[in-house]
Amino acid sequence: MRTAPGTIGVSSGRLDATAKVSGSFVYGVDASRPGMLWARLRRSDLPHAEITRIDVTRAAELPGVRAVITGADTAGCVAGRYVRDEPILAAGRVRYRGEPLAAVAADTEEIAEEACRLIDVEYEPLPVVSSIAEALAPDAPLIHPDWESYWAMPAIRREGNVLSRASLRRGDAAAAFATADRVFEDRYETAMVHQVSLEGRVAIAEVDGEGNVHVWSSHQYPFGLRRDIADILNIPLHKVRVTITGVGGGFGGKLYAGVEPYCVLLARATGRPVKMVHTREEELTATSPRMGSVVEVRTAVSADGRFLAREGTVFYEAGAYSESSPGMASVGPMILPGPYRWEALAIDGVAVYTNKANCGSYRAPGAPQAAFAGESQIDRIAAELGIDPLELRLMNAVEDGDLGPSGQVLEAVSITEALRRAAARIGWGEPAGPNRGKGLACSWWTTTGMPSSAYVQLNEDGTFVLFTGATEIGTGAVTAGVAQMCAGELGIDPCDLTVVSADTETTPYDFGAQGSRTTVQAGAAAVVAAADLRAQMLEVAAEKLGCDPTDLVVADGEIRHRDDPALALDVVDVARLGRGGLLGRGSHEQPPTPFDETTVEGAVVGVFHNPAFAAHACELEVDPVTGEVTVQRYVIAQDVGRVVNPLYAEGQMAGAVVQGLGQALYEELVYRDGEVLNPNLTDYKLPTIVDVPEIETILVEQPSSTGVYGTKGVGEQGIIAPPACVNNALRDAVGVQVARLPITAERVWREMQQE
Amino acid sequence: MISVELRVNGSDYRLDVPPGAYLLDVLRDRLGLLGTKEACAEGECGACTVLLDGMAIDSCILFAAQANGREVTTVEGLSSPQHLSALQRAFARAGAVQCGFCTPGFLVAATELLERCAEPSEAEIRVGLAGNLCRCTGYTNIVAAVRAAAEEWEA
Repeated sequence: MRTAPGTIGVSSGRLDATAKVSGSFVYGVDASRPGMLWARLRRSDLPHAEITRIDVTRAAELPGVRAVITGADTAGCVAGRYVRDEPILAAGRVRYRGEPLAAVAADTEEIAEEACRLIDVEYEPLPVVSSIAEALAPDAPLIHPDWESYWAMPAIRREGNVLSRASLRRGDAAAAFATADRVFEDRYETAMVHQVSLEGRVAIAEVDGEGNVHVWSSHQYPFGLRRDIADILNIPLHKVRVTITGVGGGFGGKLYAGVEPYCVLLARATGRPVKMVHTREEELTATSPRMGSVVEVRTAVSADGRFLAREGTVFYEAGAYSESSPGMASVGPMILPGPYRWEALAIDGVAVYTNKANCGSYRAPGAPQAAFAGESQIDRIAAELGIDPLELRLMNAVEDGDLGPSGQVLEAVSITEALRRAAARIGWGEPAGPNRGKGLACSWWTTTGMPSSAYVQLNEDGTFVLFTGATEIGTGAVTAGVAQMCAGELGIDPCDLTVVSADTETTPYDFGAQGSRTTVQAGAAAVVAAADLRAQMLEVAAEKLGCDPTDLVVADGEIRHRDDPALALDVVDVARLGRGGLLGRGSHEQPPTPFDETTVEGAVVGVFHNPAFAAHACELEVDPVTGEVTVQRYVIAQDVGRVVNPLYAEGQMAGAVVQGLGQALYEELVYRDGEVLNPNLTDYKLPTIVDVPEIETILVEQPSSTGVYGTKGVGEQGIIAPPACVNNALRDAVGVQVARLPITAERVWREMQQE
Repeated sequence: MISVELRVNGSDYRLDVPPGAYLLDVLRDRLGLLGTKEACAEGECGACTVLLDGMAIDSCILFAAQANGREVTTVEGLSSPQHLSALQRAFARAGAVQCGFCTPGFLVAATELLERCAEPSEAEIRVGLAGNLCRCTGYTNIVAAVRAAAEEWEA
């Protein structure tokens, strides 16, 4: 493991903080181009229907309208990285209410909106499939009758309305269940919940006379977006440039092409730049929320509390198109077992189509649903066996050398330490008082690998520029973490580093701000690039000084001989001697994590790379009359491997927990007959500052052998377990749990009445 | 069109605006003050918070005409680029800023809070900022930042 320099583990400031607090930071919504037009989408009025007529005559005649396109103009423009199933403008059939049918560019947003209203559409309604059960019924209408003809990633197993079935089988589950002392069987449900990044999707596209496309977007993954635009619109990749603007939140919601292809097509049609901004209603009705779920789970245990086997199915409701859901189906089998030892596992993750907006990736996609089930059931087991929930978890928690669900050999395992520290902080075992209770829950999560790369340039004045393809979406991963790692390797203060990021033509490739990977992977690439530059600087200096490069060190703005301080060169002179051309290059990709490939089938995610662990503990109060839950205290002890920036690592933990508390207590996209009934922030209830307590964060550091300096992913982990943790504290407080999220006062009250 | 007179961040403006124009749109589109954000467009999230004669209001649901003859302060008016306010410095230092999209609204609301309550308790800080949503921070570091700023605030 590489030794961490002094910049690591320090809460240094982020490079974008002053711009953000002064109001001068430029987000996607603030960007503009000269001569820019505004675009809007006409969306489907029905959740499932054949389009029998679409007439744009009245819209096209409206003064100020510059272009109108429909599905007839976009034949062959189909999106889908896993399964190519989503025409960007519907032609023939619509599969969710809000699906784009036509796009308009006009002089103002108001004119574009009015033009959309003037597009005449006639439909022949089809039966609406509005739940997992309906989609899986034997006589269910097929949402994609032509599903077999779609291109799909070979690993994915599909059948009718099932767009992905991932299976995990390890050990002899049937035998374990046959001989177990006790078997517990439960069913849990979770609602669709939305990222609600405060800045929604927004982009500007410009097409020059040579057909070169330039897109500015508030996005998490510029290289993925470039690929999407090229693939969907059939444009050579090198003709597309993506520049990321300031990003007002992402949380996984901005990983796929959204508004951008429409902007490109309309810019091409009009010869002018085109901007599109989603309204909040569009965000909540037509963009990739977290999948709803039904989780069936059976667990076999010994009388003394040893976990033997777990089997079950995590059914995910994916909505009308596949987007990232095929990959996320394989997360269920990894999460339902939790960070515990099992003799046998038999778990499926099944994603199904329904007539709702397609779901997507929301921070730890696929995980909170399965963790809610798996961890809620553990507390039921504890209660029935008369074992303390902390003891039951400690007894079964994985340790170094144990196997993960798919047979990976676990290392740097920290769940026992995390559990003990979280429990100690919450005062586990001390009585909570009337109508109050304490709960625990555990999680584990992957650090996504895939490539990152970086350049580091030495300026003529001895300062440095880092070029990274990574994207700063707010976490501080780039403007604090990656900058600190790069600066540390260069031996400079992070404030003396300029960071250029997230532009497909000026920065090198990066797999994007997803999967808790940016600090770990882009940071590692920046370290490699900085080391490469330093080697070049030493080479140049050694030649001038007439000594061996290995005898030289970089310190305090100069390069000097380790034994003879008089033999030295200023970094400025090194830059000059390098003829202005010293540029370090670095690329990084974690090697694949070995696992037992015979245990999984149809899985996009078959193993957790460089996994990290967390334990949650909370204390809450239940109003005995209304059932309302108030969380009084919340503790998260999270393993981050080696912390790079404590302030922003703990900021990720606290932020993730509060989003998790939103899913636990308040949030739900309420659908009726294919229509979202609460498409606004008045009715879609997010946690406010008065709804949540201070989040108490405990950093656990169990360095991994694979992450540079021992780092592990941080960003997603904290969102996985809060619903289960709250549900478990609820049991401690009033003796009941709920089986469906969110844990509303009404649901709690009903459970209490049945007791 | 109607004529409105506004004093925004100390500068006087006379503007002709449609009767239905919201103050937020006038600030952003006419005056180029892009620091104030829109996130919900219905007065729920507080991203558009500005001071109107010293009172924190949601500029996305206030007609520009309602601000006629009054004084508006936006995030840009809280400081000069060379001299950030104690709240701005504390937000930057305490990790109260992540994506930063809610930050201008929080800063304006917190400024109003400290102007009327120089030593707020944690509960007063939370109630004072209850009209502002943040999706990134979990609020913990925002409370810490306001508490830190209060110690050096000169109302």
